[in-house]
Amino acid sequence: MAKTVMQTHNLSKNYGELLALNGVSLTLRQGDVYGLVGRNGAGKTTFFKCVMGLARPTAGAIEIGGGGIEIGGGGIEIGGGGISLSAARRKIGFMISPSFFPYLNPKESLEYLCRFKGIRVKGEIERLLALVGLDSVKKPFKAFSLGMKQRLGVAGALIGSPDIVVLDEPTNGLDPQGIIDMRAIIKNANTQTGTTFIVSSHILSELDLVATQFGFIEQGVLLTEISHADLHENTKETLTVEVNDSKKAHAALCRMGAECVIEDGRRLTLRSHLDRPHEIARALIDSGLELHGLHRQEATLEEYFIRMIGERDAKNN
Amino acid sequence: MLKIINSEIYRLLRKKSMYVYFCSLAAGYFLVAFIRSGGFGPQSIVSDAFNFFNFLPVFAGGFLFSAIYTDDLSAKNLTLLVGFGTGKATIVLAKLILTALCGAAVFALAPLLLYVAHAALGWPAAAGTMATVCAVSLKYLLATLGYSALSGIAVYGLQRTTFAMVLYVLLALNVVSGLVTVLLVNVFGERLAQILTSCLLSGITDRILGGIISGGPIAPPAVEYVAYLAIAAAVSIAAFERKEMEF
Repeated sequence: MAKTVMQTHNLSKNYGELLALNGVSLTLRQGDVYGLVGRNGAGKTTFFKCVMGLARPTAGAIEIGGGGIEIGGGGIEIGGGGISLSAARRKIGFMISPSFFPYLNPKESLEYLCRFKGIRVKGEIERLLALVGLDSVKKPFKAFSLGMKQRLGVAGALIGSPDIVVLDEPTNGLDPQGIIDMRAIIKNANTQTGTTFIVSSHILSELDLVATQFGFIEQGVLLTEISHADLHENTKETLTVEVNDSKKAHAALCRMGAECVIEDGRRLTLRSHLDRPHEIARALIDSGLELHGLHRQEATLEEYFIRMIGERDAKNN
Repeated sequence: MLKIINSEIYRLLRKKSMYVYFCSLAAGYFLVAFIRSGGFGPQSIVSDAFNFFNFLPVFAGGFLFSAIYTDDLSAKNLTLLVGFGTGKATIVLAKLILTALCGAAVFALAPLLLYVAHAALGWPAAAGTMATVCAVSLKYLLATLGYSALSGIAVYGLQRTTFAMVLYVLLALNVVSGLVTVLLVNVFGERLAQILTSCLLSGITDRILGGIISGGPIAPPAVEYVAYLAIAAAVSIAAFERKEMEF
C-alpha cells in the first residue's frame, strides 16, 4: 500500500453553533487523485482551509507528510518527523478560489510565486504556462475570463512540483474543452511526476474520470472513503429486463447461468451476461415470454452520492 | 522574510499605475513651483519642504499603503502567504520592512525633486539648506511608516480594504491626532494634554525633526517611535493570529 502523505484525525471546526466539520478522518496516500465530493456548504472548503492553516480547527489533528501535527482546540503545533506543520505545508500547492494581483500578467504572476517560494528552476514558468495553455497570454489578470483564472490558479498550485496539490473546484467556470484540458493536466501531473491530488468538484461525473479515491462529505461529516474500483463495484452495470412474467423469466435465465434478481412481477435485474443481451433476449423468447424491454443501467456517481445521503438521513431520522 | 520582500518588490515594480501616479505628483509639483517661482528666495525650498512634504504621507504614503497592504487583501494574497506555511509574524514584519524600504525610496526622491525644481528655476539650494530639507523629508517618512504600522492592525485584524484605507487617511490627515488632542484637553486639562500629545506619533516625529535641526536629543523620541512600531506590529500579529483568513 502506498504511504500516507496526509491524514486528518477527527478534525472538527465550529463557527459558533454551526459544525462545519465534524470529526473528519481522511487519509490521502501517495499518488492518489482524491476526489472530495459534497454539496455546497458540505464542508469541503472548510476542510481545505484547515489543512492549509487558513482556519484553525476546533478539535482533531492534521498530519502532513508524516511531519508536523497540529492539534486543534488549543492550536498546539507539534513538530514531528523533524519538521513543523508550517514547513510541511510548503510541500503543498493549492488553489482555493484563484486570485492574483490584477496588474500582473500570467508570467509575472508565476514569477512572483517563484520568488516567494524560492523556486529557481529554469523554464518552470514557461513549462507550466504551456501546460495550462496560457503561454501566449500577455494581458493582465484583471482582464482574464473565469476559465483563464482557473487555469492560472492551477499553474500556481503546480509550481515547484509540490508533493501534494489541493484544488478546490478547479473546473468551475470552465468550458467543455477547458474541463477536458483540466482533467489532462491533473492526469499528466499525477502519472508523470507522481503528484498527489485532492480535488473537490461539483461535476461528479468529471471527478469520476480522474479520481482514484473518493471521499463523500455531507454536513461536515465524511460519510465514506472509497476507492474508484470499489465505487464502480457498488455502482456496477446491470441489465434490466422487462417481461410479462418475471418468475418464469428468472427460471429461464438461471438455466443459462445468469445471475438475476426479481425486482417485481414484470422486472428482473441481471448482474452477469452484460455483454450478451442478444442471448438473453433469445432465451426469454424461446421460453415463450413477451420481452417488453431490455436495457443497460449503471448508477452514476451522483446517484450513488444521493443514495448515500438518503441512507444517512434515514439513519438520523 | 527576504523571499517575501523580494517577491513584493518584484510585483510593485510592475505596478504601472505607480509610475503614472508618482510622475503625476512630480509634474504637479513642478507646475506649482513654476507658477510660484517669481516669489522664490534662497530659503523658499525649506518652506516648500514643510508645505509639500506635509501632504506626502497622504498622497505618496497612501498610495504605498494601498499597494503594499490593501492590494494583498483584494488579491487574496495573504491566503497564499499563510497557506504556504509562512508565519503571520513574518508576514507582518516583512510588510513593515517593505514599507520602510519603499517609503525611503520615495522620501529620498522628494528632496531631490525639490532641489531640481528650484535649481531649474534659478534657486539652487546650498548643502546646509538641503540637509534641513532632508530632515523634513525624514520626519514625514517616519510618520508614514508609523501610520502604516497602525493601519496594518485593521488590515490584519479585520481584513477589510476600505476600513484600513480610511483609517490610514484619517491618521495621515492628522484627524485622529486632532480628535485625540481634543479628548486629552477635555479629560486632563491643557497642561497635561500638551505633554501627552507630544507622545502621539506626530508629536514624536516633530521632536525627532527638532532634534536633528537644532541639535537637541534624538534618542528619547527615537525610542518612543520604535516602541510605537513594535506595539503596532505586536497588536497586528495578535489580531492576525485571531482572525481567520477571509475568502
